[in-house]
Amino acid sequence: MELSESVQRGLQSLADPSTFDQTSFPALVDVSFRSLLSSHGDPGVLDQPELKQVDQVLLKQSHTAATTFILEAVKQNADKSSVSSSLEELTFSAERIEIFCSTYQKHKKELQHLLASIGRQPPQINDVSWRLQYHMKNGQVDKVNEPFYMISLNTENKGTPEDINFTCTMEQLQDLVGKLKDAAKSVEKASQM
Amino acid sequence: MLLVLSEDHKEHLAFLPKVDAAVVGEFGRIALEFLRRGTSPKIYEGAARKLCVPVEMVQRGVEGLMFLMTESSKHMISEVDFLDSVLVLGFVEELNQILLQHHSEIRSVLSLLPSNLPAYHNMEWRLDVQLASRSVRQQVIPMLSLRLLLMRGCDSCTDHSSRVLQTDPSTLLHLISTLEAALVAMKTSHTRRILRNIK
Repeated sequence: MELSESVQRGLQSLADPSTFDQTSFPALVDVSFRSLLSSHGDPGVLDQPELKQVDQVLLKQSHTAATTFILEAVKQNADKSSVSSSLEELTFSAERIEIFCSTYQKHKKELQHLLASIGRQPPQINDVSWRLQYHMKNGQVDKVNEPFYMISLNTENKGTPEDINFTCTMEQLQDLVGKLKDAAKSVEKASQM
Repeated sequence: MLLVLSEDHKEHLAFLPKVDAAVVGEFGRIALEFLRRGTSPKIYEGAARKLCVPVEMVQRGVEGLMFLMTESSKHMISEVDFLDSVLVLGFVEELNQILLQHHSEIRSVLSLLPSNLPAYHNMEWRLDVQLASRSVRQQVIPMLSLRLLLMRGCDSCTDHSSRVLQTDPSTLLHLISTLEAALVAMKTSHTRRILRNIK
C-alpha cells in the first residue's frame, strides 16, 4: 500500500509508545474506526478521557493518518497480512498490530459497504406498479374502446424517489416482458459460467 | 345519432349550396388538406377571387366543412344519420361522398392529436458487472442497465425521451413476475365481459 509522507509520520507517532501508551493506543484505534462509521461528523470525537494526556497536535495527526490508512486498506480490499506488513514497516509492535488488525477485521465489511455507496449511478428501479384501463372516448375522438396499461416504475436516485409513468398496449407490454425475460436468461447464463 | 349544427355553423355553410358542384368539391378537398397539413391564406384568396366572394366567407365555409367532417368522424356517424343531419343544409351528393370516403383517415388524424401521457416505445438492456469505482476496488457487482424509450405526442411533433435506468437481478425477477400478472389480468372473465359489452 502506498502511503503519503504525512500519513506515514502520523502512523509512526501512533506506533511510538512514548506518545501513545497502552491505554491511549486502543482508544485511538477505536475512535478512528468509529468516526468513519458514524453518519454524522462529531467534533468532539477526540475528547476521550484516555486521550487527554497525548499531545493534541500529534493526536490530530495520528487520527487523520489512521483514518486515511484504514480507508486505503478497505479500498484496496487488503487482507490481514498486507495490513500487518504495512504496519510492521511503520515500526508497530506485534501487540499493536494485533489490536489494529482485529478491529479492522471486525469493521471491514461495513466500511466496504459504505465506500461502495459513494459514487454516481443511474437511478435504480425498485418496484413497478400497473393499472389496466379501458379508453372509451376523449375530447377529440369518440368510441375509442381500447384497453391499455399504465405502468409506473418506482426509481430511486441517491435517496430521492422518482416515478416514471408511461402507457402501453398489451402487445407493447408483452414486448417489454419478453425483453426483460431475455435479460434474466442472460444473467442466469452468466452466473453459470 | 344525428349531428346537431348550431345556427352560426349553418350560416357559414349557407353559401355553399348556391355555388356549383365542382366548387363544393374543391372546398371539400381544401378542408381535407387543412386537416392533414394546415392551410395558407393564399388558397383562400385564390378561391375568393374565382368566386367573387369575400375571403372571410371562403374561410368560414372551409372551416365549417372541416368541423362537420371532424364531428362526424369523431362520433362515427352512419351514412344515413349523416345524410339526415346535413339535409337541412341542402348539400349536394359530392360533399357527402368525399366525407364518407375519408372518414377513417380523418379519424386517424384526430387520434394523433397530442396525448399528454408518454407511451412506451422500446427498451434496450445490457448486463454489466461493476469491477471497481473511485472509492472501492475489487468489486464484483452484477447490474442491468436499461434504456427506456418513451414517445409523447403525435407523429409530426413527437417528443422522444430516453431514460437510462439500472436494476439488480433480483429486482429484475420481481419486475418480470409483476408485469406477467398484469398481462394475465387482461384475460380474466371480468375484463373480457367489459370489453365485449362496452362498444
